Amino acid sequence: MSLHLAMLLPFAVAALFGVVVRPLARALPPAQAVRMVSGIGLVIAVATGFVVASAAFTFVAQYSALGRVGDWSAGSLRRVDPMSPAVGTLATLAVMACAATSGFVLVRYVRALVTSLRATRRLGPGTHGLVVIDDARADAFTLPGVTGRVVVSTAMLRALPPAERRALLAHEASHLRHRHHVFLLITEISAAANPMLRPALDAVRLGVERWADEDAAADIGDRRMVARALALASRAAAQPVDDARYALRMNARTFGPRARALLAPPPRPRRWVAAALAAMAVVTAASSLVVAVGTESRFDRATAVTMADHD
Amino acid sequence: MRSTRQPGRPKAGRQPGALEQEVLAVLAAAGEPLTPAQVQAALGDGLAYTTVMTALSRLHAKGTVSRRRAGRAFAYGWLDAPTLAARRMHRLLDAGDDRAAVLARFVAELGPEDGRLLEDLFADAPDGAT
Repeated sequence: MSLHLAMLLPFAVAALFGVVVRPLARALPPAQAVRMVSGIGLVIAVATGFVVASAAFTFVAQYSALGRVGDWSAGSLRRVDPMSPAVGTLATLAVMACAATSGFVLVRYVRALVTSLRATRRLGPGTHGLVVIDDARADAFTLPGVTGRVVVSTAMLRALPPAERRALLAHEASHLRHRHHVFLLITEISAAANPMLRPALDAVRLGVERWADEDAAADIGDRRMVARALALASRAAAQPVDDARYALRMNARTFGPRARALLAPPPRPRRWVAAALAAMAVVTAASSLVVAVGTESRFDRATAVTMADHD
Repeated sequence: MRSTRQPGRPKAGRQPGALEQEVLAVLAAAGEPLTPAQVQAALGDGLAYTTVMTALSRLHAKGTVSRRRAGRAFAYGWLDAPTLAARRMHRLLDAGDDRAAVLARFVAELGPEDGRLLEDLFADAPDGAT
């Protein structure tokens, strides 16, 4: 595989992943879909980031005294394998943008987590993580954190009949138990580093809600009951609150796909879908390895040329 | 309505702690103390009386719900966050050796905002209560 092909391949995979991720994720059981999409998204984000960083490094090394840290000179590197200034500048800017956006997402997450931890301390231990607050607005959400909390308002509890209430509690408990906010964070960072991965973030956002729905359906033993709880909870929470970014709420935006999925039979594991997704991760990982080796040999050749010049 | 419960599926069940959460939710939604029989009816899941009773006793032992006599049975009530916090403070104060000293230290260490709030609350209290 040529170096240039290896540098382009991760981007081709990222584009393909962006197109197919949503339908493929919906075809899989949500727990598997969320794990795979967040994991593969991260692999693609790291691979594309690495390729751009290698290009940027090569470019910068061609035009600066960076060679002092190694044994090559900028001139010899330029002679061995010239890189066009347009591509080089683009790569350098892209690396800076990548670092800035993913850094921003990480900082925002840490701040949200600190807010959440403060709220968690104020709320006390709760009953196995459940805290009921006396509030006339119907609301139910999960606060992320090491232990986290499920917070449900009295108005939300009163809006639901017993079985639907049980479904809601089981749904929120699933968010907490499986730390869904971690999958969201991973995918959000990947999508910030590579905007081609935005659809993966949509897939994971829907996926964690579906995961909690499937867990609730398994606990209750009645899929239709969970769909009805969803409908009642969405109607009760008329004004969605969007203050805490990582608080997982019952929301109206994902209602349609979730309700339809609950009224259909539970999704079965599909080996070829999982294999197709896994193949994308393997291809990107392999081509970034080729880029690593290729870039190193480029610098080795430049070093050899530099040595020859000195002789 | 047609049930979607499917034969052959693994039997539905509760995660650990889920029943206590549901009992708490019933009490919070009711807004008034309930007897175990009322809680059992409100759960509406064909649960045994003793199962409901066990969950209520656990919640009471943890200090999460209140309990008072109602005829021959007990009635259990949900405690909202401020009430729960006040109870915890009382428990801490009771555990200390010198109640007055602990309380004085507590008041002394309040921030200016909390201090004002405390004064406001004393001002609101009916005569003789302070």
